[in-house]
Amino acid sequence: MPEKTVRQMSKLERRHYSLAARTFRASIVSAVIIGLVALIVGMGLFVYVLTTRYIDTAFDTSKMAMSITGKVLDIKPTVDEVMSIYRSTPSEVLQTVENAVSERNEWGTAGFGVEYKDYFQKYHDIKFEQDYLQILSILKDFKENSRADDVYIGMYDPDSDRLVFIANGDTSDETGSLIGEFESVSHNEIEKFMNWDGEKRLFQINNSKRFGLMATSGLPVKDKDGNIVAFFLSDIRLNNVVNGTKSFFVLFAVSMFVIVNAVAIGSALYVRKNLVNPMNSIAEAAASYVKDRRAGNESTDHFSKLNIRTGDELENLALVMADMENDLADYEEHLTEVVAEKERIGTELGLATRIQADMLPNIYPAFPDRPEFDVYATMTPAKEVGGDFYDFFLIDDNHLGLVMADVSGKGVPAALFMMASKILIANHAMNGKSAAEVLETVNEQICSNNREEMFVTVWFGILDTRTGLIRAANAGHEYPVMKKPGGQFELIKDKHGFVIGGMAGMKYKEYELQMEPGSKLFLYTDGVPEATNSGNELFGTDRMVEALNKASEGSTYDVLGSVSDAIKNFVQDAPQFDDITMLCLDFIGGKTQIKDEAEDM
Amino acid sequence: MTITKKLDGTNLTVSLEGRLDTTTAPELEEELKTALDDVTELTVDMAKLDYISSAGLRVMLSTQKRMNRQGSMVVTNVSDVLMEIFEVTGFDSILTIK
Repeated sequence: MPEKTVRQMSKLERRHYSLAARTFRASIVSAVIIGLVALIVGMGLFVYVLTTRYIDTAFDTSKMAMSITGKVLDIKPTVDEVMSIYRSTPSEVLQTVENAVSERNEWGTAGFGVEYKDYFQKYHDIKFEQDYLQILSILKDFKENSRADDVYIGMYDPDSDRLVFIANGDTSDETGSLIGEFESVSHNEIEKFMNWDGEKRLFQINNSKRFGLMATSGLPVKDKDGNIVAFFLSDIRLNNVVNGTKSFFVLFAVSMFVIVNAVAIGSALYVRKNLVNPMNSIAEAAASYVKDRRAGNESTDHFSKLNIRTGDELENLALVMADMENDLADYEEHLTEVVAEKERIGTELGLATRIQADMLPNIYPAFPDRPEFDVYATMTPAKEVGGDFYDFFLIDDNHLGLVMADVSGKGVPAALFMMASKILIANHAMNGKSAAEVLETVNEQICSNNREEMFVTVWFGILDTRTGLIRAANAGHEYPVMKKPGGQFELIKDKHGFVIGGMAGMKYKEYELQMEPGSKLFLYTDGVPEATNSGNELFGTDRMVEALNKASEGSTYDVLGSVSDAIKNFVQDAPQFDDITMLCLDFIGGKTQIKDEAEDM
Repeated sequence: MTITKKLDGTNLTVSLEGRLDTTTAPELEEELKTALDDVTELTVDMAKLDYISSAGLRVMLSTQKRMNRQGSMVVTNVSDVLMEIFEVTGFDSILTIK
């Protein structure tokens, strides 16, 4: 199916081409991509910063707890006491207790064996010592008043790789650890805490079943000799971070949705105002321009009335279109004038063609009441008007003037010159001058005022209708062709004078041609022998004579038809360069006198 | 049509090539209008001229008239076809044909 033009589209189809919608979509897509990248980066930053802050809090809490405790008392005896109980407990018992603890952490408080209770019973006395209670109170204070979820003291037992809890700020049964409780730790991790340089924040993040993600941070307590007494540690559950991330994500998504839409709508509006609307108005102007033009409405302010002030290429385009419109209007106006002028000239030329044709005798038979001769002639101009002409007229009852002439050049100048020549020749002939005298007089008249230096070749003959004698003179014209009764057409190489209008004072020699009944005379202009075919070949007098002889016994009409057909066959499609003019006189004879009644008409 | 001019002092030789007809005659006329200034001897070489129409003859006539006033003019290398045209039109009696 061929594609539709924009003009054929419905409004709905055209809307697909809306730049604003495209901009809107592009804005949304790019904003979403940018938003997602920002979200990932933002979340990463958010998690990192929050986690770091929590670790800092846990560390600071541990440090402060350690510092306060150290000012109030020495924890070493209490730690040693607990650790000695732990170390004195057989490892199988410790294993049982560990299993029970993990069971408790998993299932709650159910099903603890005797060993479990006995083990913790061993620490019962310590719990009520003055120092221990004081330690516990400090830890509890810190736990309550800081953001840490637990603040506690533990000691590492390198033999069993376990961290033993000494005291725990969280005293609840569900979440707190009991005195003497312990958990396995990796040696590498505890190593970091043991070899602390005193500055770095020590931390570790675990994923425990009980509390989820949890960060532990703290520092070792050392005695005067530099030996590690215990660790002050704080736990912070990171579920806050996860929750924070969730709300961060929601907040981010909502604000991004709002911003993206706002930006997209904004850019769509911007594009619509600054790009789409101006473009549409230019397109509409173009459409209405064409429409008005087709309807014949000449108003010229389609583009000129556009008021596009975008300050960019579109404004430029509108200005260029306005200029173009004005230029086109000017051009069209000019063109209309030219066309009108051309039409006028065409009309006048058509008229001139008819006037010229009417100037030449063209009603046949030309002399219906003169059976002793017959004349037939045609002129086919190459342009609307021609420079060739023929003429025949009765000078008196017994004399027929015959003219065949060719003006130099073609078209209107030749036609004007031809008219003057024709009238002059006929006028002088009617005054009873001989053929040579007529040509000489006409030549003088034309030469006296011939600034354009045009000339005309003329063959002029006067036939005595009684005797068939022609007295003729040739002013540079083609050779006449004559046929004797029963014979063939032959060129007559007559004596030539110079063309008429060429030079003043020319003399023309007169000669005689004797026509007998059955004789024919053929006169023509150079358009006949010089008719040219597409191969640039001339028709020539030989072909002309041949064509004449084909119809030598026919009527004057047949003779001219035969030549005309031969020329047409010869030139085929090649354009006609010169006027083609022919005349044929058929002398029938048989009358020596014309009755007086026949002349007055 | 090709027009070739060769000026030697006040002697000008104009060589014509092709057809001298209604379309090309104005070209030659224009060309000669200025070229003939100060020329006393004009030679028109028609060796390569195939055809001359009445419009071409008109230019030859006006050129001959002009040269009659300021010097002389000869036409050379006239082919049989051209000679016939000159004879028919009587130009052979006006032009100096060599």
